[in-house]
Amino acid sequence: MADVNAILSKLDNLAALPSTVLRLTTLLMSGKAAAAEIEQVARQDEALSITILRWANSAMFGRPGRTFTLRESITRLGNANLLSIVLQQKTSTMFERAGAAFGLARGELWRSAVGGGICAQSIARSSKFDNPELAFLCGLLRDIGKLALDAHFGSAYAEKVQRHMSPDRSFLDAEREAFGFDHAQVGKALALKWKLPERIAECIGAHHNPPPPGAGHDTLIDIVHAADVVCLWAGLAIGCDGLQYRLAEHVRTGLDLSRPQAEFLIASAWQDVRSAEQLMKDPAPSRKSA
Amino acid sequence: MGATPGTFSKTEVDGKLVVGVGDLIVTSDPSATVVTYALGSCIGVTVYDPVAKVGGLLHFMLPSADLNKDKAAANPAMFGDIGIPLLFKTAYEKGAKKERLIVCAAGGAEVLSDDGHFKIGSRNRTLVRKIFWKNGILLSADETGGSNSRTLSLRMSDGAVAVRTQGTERALWPT
Repeated sequence: MADVNAILSKLDNLAALPSTVLRLTTLLMSGKAAAAEIEQVARQDEALSITILRWANSAMFGRPGRTFTLRESITRLGNANLLSIVLQQKTSTMFERAGAAFGLARGELWRSAVGGGICAQSIARSSKFDNPELAFLCGLLRDIGKLALDAHFGSAYAEKVQRHMSPDRSFLDAEREAFGFDHAQVGKALALKWKLPERIAECIGAHHNPPPPGAGHDTLIDIVHAADVVCLWAGLAIGCDGLQYRLAEHVRTGLDLSRPQAEFLIASAWQDVRSAEQLMKDPAPSRKSA
Repeated sequence: MGATPGTFSKTEVDGKLVVGVGDLIVTSDPSATVVTYALGSCIGVTVYDPVAKVGGLLHFMLPSADLNKDKAAANPAMFGDIGIPLLFKTAYEKGAKKERLIVCAAGGAEVLSDDGHFKIGSRNRTLVRKIFWKNGILLSADETGGSNSRTLSLRMSDGAVAVRTQGTERALWPT
């Protein structure tokens, strides 16, 4: 039986989140960093600097006849837009090629990541959670365990887990029986290996099994759990695991998630993901894409 | 000939016309296979007229357009209550006749422990049954419910409908 640490030790080829991204993420989420401080970190990553400049000077954020410097661009975009742009750009290359381990076609895992991020942010705002940007980050990264398993096992992972599946059994149970761990546990281990903050690693590890109110409870995990289920309902990245996950009742009641709200999130999910894809591909984003 | 795409851009992969989530395609191209992937709680509906050789596939996400009028106006195929009539209307415009149509459906799955509060897949299934009953349409075959993801395809040369689940494909129509 494979061991999580043994898998991770062989994953040096799996690109980690660049240190610039982690530092920028921490700065942007703190809400206290000055533009000069953010600029200093962004300058260490040429591709990132170009992306920020391109966005700030695009039709959506720019001003005719005026070209913004990097520092001006950072101010103009604002923390929330910067965070979204930086993370989506940097994670797209990691996610877009993976998926075979879960029976997904190329690009589907990336769509699920973006959809989960946007959805978590939306739920966080509606439930008055104090850090929607953190919810976005956790929603985006919740399935990094799938990246690790994809890199290590490829399609053989899905084939083996499927032999342990039955109609009323959760996919996580089948994973644990087949391999001794599930993708959420692997994701948490990978997050810690990448030196992501512990709260984010905990959220990734528990996003399918959020602890109920009491010791260990974190609303952030509830939000990401709900966002994950919305992505399933919306058909974002449904692979060999189907919808074989459990919806935690305390999450529904705790977040006061109504059916119309859930349906609105489902209806918005694909449009949001398509907009995000367009924005990532479009060399000159237009105002209508906002 | 040719296909009538829905709201989102039509894509052709490996010679198949791919219907996106919240979209529909109606075609009279006998060489085409129309397919939709990732049917979870969403439902795919196929129609096929073996005489006119017109067929189509809808992939709707939610039962009722009452949820949001703007989204419904921009993307009617997202909602079953207006997407299904649109599928039939588009097929009729291409020469299909109601009395000849072979109609199949697949999808409407649920997460494992929905306690009945959301019932997204179940409400989609109810909508399909209700709308067909009201309009005197019989489902020729269906595979709905459960918790699996499904792929639904319609082969235009003979109207064969197939469902793929967990890597295994089976004929839905003819049985």
